Amino acid sequence: MMLAAFADPVFDSQRSFRELLQAMARPAMPRPLPVLPPAPAPVAPAAMAIMLTLCDATTAVWLQQPEDEAIRHLRFHAGLKLADRPQDADFALVTDPASMPPLDAFARGDMRYPDRSASLIIQVAAINPAPVDGAHEFAGPGIRETETVAIDGLPADFWQQRAALAALLPLGIDLFFVAGQQVLALPRTTRLLEG
Amino acid sequence: MTYNFAFLDEDTKRMLRRALLKAVAIPGYQVPFGSREMPLPYGWGTGGIQVTAALLGPDDVLKVIDQGADDTTNAVNIRRFFHRVAGVATTEHTAEATLIQTRHRIPETSLREDQILVFQVPEPEPLRTLEPREAETRTLHALADYGLMHVKLYEDIAQYGHIATSYDYPVLVDGRFLTSPSPIPKFDNPKLDRSPALMLFGAGREKRLYAIPPYTRVESLAFDDHPFEIQRWEHRCELCGSGESYLDEVVVDDRGTRMFVCSDTDFCSGRRTEAQA
Amino acid sequence: MYVAVKGGEQAIARSLELLAEARRGDAAVPELELAQIRGQLRLGVARVMQEGSLYDEELAALAIRQAAGDMLEAIFLLRAYRTTLPRFGYTLPLDTTAMRVRRRVSGTFKDIPGGQVLGPTYDYTQRLLDFDTAVAAEVAPADVPLPSDMPRVLDLLDAEALIERIEPGSDPEPVDLTREPLMFPADRATRLQNLSRGDEGFLLGMAYSTQRGYAESHPFAGEIRMGEVDVVICPEELGFVIEIGSIVLTECQMINQFHGGNGVPPQFTRGYGLTMGEGERKAMAMALVDRALRCDELAEPNHAPAQNQEFVLSHSDSVEASGFVQHLKLPHYVDFQAELSLLRTLAAQHARHAPPPAPQGEAGRGCSGSEGTSLQDGLTPPQPSPASQGREPTEVCGT
Repeated sequence: MMLAAFADPVFDSQRSFRELLQAMARPAMPRPLPVLPPAPAPVAPAAMAIMLTLCDATTAVWLQQPEDEAIRHLRFHAGLKLADRPQDADFALVTDPASMPPLDAFARGDMRYPDRSASLIIQVAAINPAPVDGAHEFAGPGIRETETVAIDGLPADFWQQRAALAALLPLGIDLFFVAGQQVLALPRTTRLLEG
Repeated sequence: MTYNFAFLDEDTKRMLRRALLKAVAIPGYQVPFGSREMPLPYGWGTGGIQVTAALLGPDDVLKVIDQGADDTTNAVNIRRFFHRVAGVATTEHTAEATLIQTRHRIPETSLREDQILVFQVPEPEPLRTLEPREAETRTLHALADYGLMHVKLYEDIAQYGHIATSYDYPVLVDGRFLTSPSPIPKFDNPKLDRSPALMLFGAGREKRLYAIPPYTRVESLAFDDHPFEIQRWEHRCELCGSGESYLDEVVVDDRGTRMFVCSDTDFCSGRRTEAQA
Repeated sequence: MYVAVKGGEQAIARSLELLAEARRGDAAVPELELAQIRGQLRLGVARVMQEGSLYDEELAALAIRQAAGDMLEAIFLLRAYRTTLPRFGYTLPLDTTAMRVRRRVSGTFKDIPGGQVLGPTYDYTQRLLDFDTAVAAEVAPADVPLPSDMPRVLDLLDAEALIERIEPGSDPEPVDLTREPLMFPADRATRLQNLSRGDEGFLLGMAYSTQRGYAESHPFAGEIRMGEVDVVICPEELGFVIEIGSIVLTECQMINQFHGGNGVPPQFTRGYGLTMGEGERKAMAMALVDRALRCDELAEPNHAPAQNQEFVLSHSDSVEASGFVQHLKLPHYVDFQAELSLLRTLAAQHARHAPPPAPQGEAGRGCSGSEGTSLQDGLTPPQPSPASQGREPTEVCGT
């Protein structure tokens, strides 16, 4: 039996979008998503909320773990089309970050159209906005001074990969991390400050 | 037939929302979007209206201003439109609004982190009057080659002794993209720099939208020997006495007598109410 | 005592009442019925449907009535309605070869298989105002019915390999310009879509310019045909085609000269125009502009306005153009104030430094009128110039 999606598609999408917009506008600051729809494994409810809000038949979505039920669910509720290869994805859902493809496998846009680039939704173990062990300090547009946050469960060289992409600005990829109800965005312009 | 909440269908809103997120992620870059034909004319705020429609929810309190005023006819008309198609609460008070759609001004009252300012933009391309070909301006942005604009400003100085741009004064956003602040007077340019509020720009006819995220560096172009300066007035507002606000000049009789009053009507009436209290 | 203007809301409400009254006109005269507009102003209805991108005679008639006969306003009304309509599916390409022809003329051959068919045309009316109440004459049926098969004139040339061949199905899938922004360079399918929505007057002027030397295209009206064409869909879930109705179309195929080159033998080239309903002038203009816009593809010199695709495609749309031209009537007093203050500053500065009446005055002080301060190298940050020595007073408004 198929799980439900947003109970109130118009207003649940609207409220979710406003949080995503604020998340993107205020990077490295986690925010709670207002609605967590049902989601078949391995898709987390917060990731499902993002996809229901942003994806449809005009977006190509790459799933790291394309389980049948998740595909059926997304096709039925969002009508979205799947991308076979990471480089073709408008959105990519990373459900197992430890084994995710390198960041440079995704589209970074072209110099005249840097917006033609991928947005990644990465399901992580935890997001902790405190100066704990493994926390990083971030700065850039949207951040008043700096923000400190720990994102658990990423590949060891994740931040080096991301730093390498920074040299290509304004090309780049934009990231949403989700854990539980939290979403945190890192647009391409957010810089990780060296400890 | 009935229209969807906020007029636009959900597919269109999703398209706009995706474009807005990319716009925020690439500050000052013009994202092409599938601008829809709205029931209001192009050039009259269709870009701002589409952005507002993509944002708007039942919890929002909307303020619409044109020339800084809430009761100019086009502002009234856009507010009427959203009241009709979304039934949202509206306000004339800057401090009460969650969403402010504006044409040609930034409110005098400082904005907060929980507010979003939506600009109506007639011409999103700051280089357009210098280079009309879109294919060419795209390349110039790609190369961050803004020599044309520097030349233009310098020619102004050579000819007039001043940079002869008083509104829609070009800015560099986050040190990368040359951006049109929309036709706000340059008086308002400093409010763009490191603003606590997110600022979104919609150009419906030209089918582009762009953003300036909060706390983002926004520099008005200038030269070392010709620093950027804003307009000042010898007068104060004759209604509220403000000496810091942008003033409208009003001709009050047929002998050409002028008076000066705040362009931001909410700011002005707030000051008068305070003075009476 | 000055009071800030209030009451925009009331002013709008009163204006709408006045508009309704003016639109209706003399209440003693019966209101126009939509059937009258559809039936008796069919060419206006066709134009509104065409440039409104929506084939619906009833709605177009409603829009014309609501717009008091202002065609551009009616087109705008129809577009604003269309934008909210859900898409249930896309039709298969229309087959104009199978058109049930009501008019068909060619300027290239004296006679053609199927014949020249004048049909209902203003071409040979004598443009004398008809003061008598027009009672339609009975139309005498033709001696023989029109042949059901009317080959296209250009196919006759194609058989001789004298005209460029465009393989069926070789077109790329067109983008939907009502959903996607126009990007440059635009391919031909996109250009044709833009032109077909474009303002007839604009296209007519552009087309005319190509005949007067602004682009060289040597056109011949190969064939113009008007009639009904079936509209067919093939729903994915059914897997077979269904005819959902028929619409009236006008198609124009221009034959244009081409000198050959790039390994291609000398052959005629094509310009194409298509409109919904009867829209012959528009279809012909579109075909001429289409051909002019193919200059790059055909390696022709690109120098005329009608060949400049950014120029033509960016300015063809009446809804865009009308909105932006007319937005100038909105208040601009904030920006005007900014310009006023700048101009007053510059004028005051000019007065201070203005040379005395003698011509040997202190010229070249960087005021308007001085010359010779031309820019040598604009790409390097300019150094302080003579004009900027001794700082001028900053802009002060309201002096």
